[in-house]
Amino acid sequence: MKDPPELQLVALRVYDASAYVTKLERNMAASARTLVLRALSDSTRNIHHVSRCRIKHLCCRAGITGCRGYSDSTEGKSTHFGFQTVPEEEKAEKVYKVFENVAKKYDVMNDAMSLGIHRLWKDTLLHTMNPQPGLRLLDTAGGTGDISFRFLEYTRSMYDRQQRLRAKSHQTPSWQDIADHYVSDKAGPPQSRAVVCDINKEMLKVGKQRAEKAGITTGLSWVVGDAEELPFDDDQFDIYTIAFGIRNVTHIEQALQEALRVLKPGGRFMCLEFSKVTNPLLTRLYDAYSFQMIPVLGEVIAGDWKSYQYLVESIRKFPDQETFKEMIEDAGFFCVQYFNLTGGIVAIHSGFKL
Amino acid sequence: MIFGIKEKSIILTNFDVLFAIATNIHVRLKTGFVLQVAVQGTVSLQCSNVRRGFHRAALLRLASDSKSDTSVPPPSYHEVHTAGESSSSSAQGESSEDAQPNTSFQDQSGEHGEDYETEEQLQARILTAALEFVPQHGWTVEAIAAAAETLGLSSASTGMFNNGAGDLVLHFVAQCNAQLAETLAEQNNQVQLGQAEAKKTAEFLKDAVETRLRMLIPYIDTWPQAMSILLLPHNIPDSLKHLSTMVDDIWYYAGDRSTDVNWYTRRAALTGIYNTTELVMVQDSSPDFEETWAFLDNRIKDVVNMANTAKQVQATGEAVVQGLMGAAITVTTQKMIQFPERNILSTKRLLGLLF
Repeated sequence: MKDPPELQLVALRVYDASAYVTKLERNMAASARTLVLRALSDSTRNIHHVSRCRIKHLCCRAGITGCRGYSDSTEGKSTHFGFQTVPEEEKAEKVYKVFENVAKKYDVMNDAMSLGIHRLWKDTLLHTMNPQPGLRLLDTAGGTGDISFRFLEYTRSMYDRQQRLRAKSHQTPSWQDIADHYVSDKAGPPQSRAVVCDINKEMLKVGKQRAEKAGITTGLSWVVGDAEELPFDDDQFDIYTIAFGIRNVTHIEQALQEALRVLKPGGRFMCLEFSKVTNPLLTRLYDAYSFQMIPVLGEVIAGDWKSYQYLVESIRKFPDQETFKEMIEDAGFFCVQYFNLTGGIVAIHSGFKL
Repeated sequence: MIFGIKEKSIILTNFDVLFAIATNIHVRLKTGFVLQVAVQGTVSLQCSNVRRGFHRAALLRLASDSKSDTSVPPPSYHEVHTAGESSSSSAQGESSEDAQPNTSFQDQSGEHGEDYETEEQLQARILTAALEFVPQHGWTVEAIAAAAETLGLSSASTGMFNNGAGDLVLHFVAQCNAQLAETLAEQNNQVQLGQAEAKKTAEFLKDAVETRLRMLIPYIDTWPQAMSILLLPHNIPDSLKHLSTMVDDIWYYAGDRSTDVNWYTRRAALTGIYNTTELVMVQDSSPDFEETWAFLDNRIKDVVNMANTAKQVQATGEAVVQGLMGAAITVTTQKMIQFPERNILSTKRLLGLLF
């Protein structure tokens, strides 16, 4: 029978690594520990009340925003920011700041944290998508443009392959065929276009630099926009992807509604996101790695502990595969299915607008 | 029949049924019912599961008007009343128009004459349309993509088919088998009614296999590709299932009701005939595939001969055994007559052993 405040306190002790709080925590730790022990051992209501008040008092002294949510229930709606609870208006701002800080080192950190496996995840996303040449992609929360680059690459090679197959079956063209070929080729290959949309200008800046370095000039656009309120008309895109971005959105249902709106009929919604690990042994390894290694890597490589702490916590707060699948179905998508990658660490959800 | 719901397995409660019926009423507006039913007001949906389940089970598509003219019995008065009574919450489900209370459906615009169809029905429609593009693109995802575009969907919807080209080929095979079963059933009907004569087994088999193989003629150029797709390991269970049901159908309509080992031998024989004839057909270049039908004829004759020969061999074998028995008895009785004092007991024992 766990009492929420104690649990919250324990959570705060273990997971909140903010410098200001750590100092206070060291002071709190001793008293809190005794409190917790007393509360657990003594099950009378009085002690519980006392412990609750004490903890509230301590929390208020420490100025942790989490307890604000607990004590004032009549404030505006609140949501989670990692393991903290924040008012909804603040979450978007905080997320913006997180990504502003990490933008420059985002790709390096991705490689370091996932040991390069994130490339395989993104490749799998593209293979599952199997886009035909000439489609329009909207890469929401696309940031540095990983998915869009892969999309353009994939469609280009797919088009080349189709041309080769067509040529193979036309080994001995007649003069008429050759003449037709010259005439029809004015149109050129169907251009697949990708639009990278992100709420954060810093991430888009980094992405543009990468595009220039890779030499991709056509078929790519960079747009600043909020996933909950996309700056596009209805029925514009064939494929909508959001890779490792939807857990940062404040109102996931709204983002799903927007996705439905901007997709053409027959369009596909794809979401690549961290999810619940299915294997219990792997869960423990994964948790240990997440909470011990990743913030440390963040501090060492990018000089930012808190952002990567937020990252790991936000993964835990995201709904699991089945729940998210139901959310997508509620938004109005059909044929919703998900594929687990790497034992459930990452899942690809896919739905269609029919 | 409630359109589009029968496919998906949803455990329905009373409320779910009412909701489904009410929405069905809403759909049947082509029939001109002036139903004062509050569509949105059928139920206060407590569980979003129902809505979600219904979502999954039906979706709004522009279908041909003839579809909605199918004869569906009008909902009973009782159901209409109960639906009308229950109140108010705005359960829109997935109807595209805004739910309006107590509307008479007669004066709604043409778009409301739409029908619901399930995801499977839509997939079947796309695959059927994709068959047109097979001569051009082969049995590939490109054919499905081209078909989706003709239906007004983005070609990203090919992602619905996890098996890609395999789905297309299996759909085609299932379609052909269904057509064959229909033809055979009709012929059987005619024979039952006395309008046609019953064919002999060999002729019946020949005609059935020929009918089925003729369905491949439009796609014969790309059929080797389809055959290779059917032989991929993850497709083998499905393709074997289709093949075995087809062979079973043919033998059933040929009149086979055997319950012994003949059941297996006959089907195995026909499977062999079908597969080999198919292989001959894809490399046949004679006019109207005459050589294929000649090959088929010969194979069936072989099988019939084999069956006859087997019967003869069995009869001969039995006769030989009986002859040997007779010879043995004659010899022993001869011995008994010639040497009566010797071994009467032993010959008796020998006879006892023989029988």
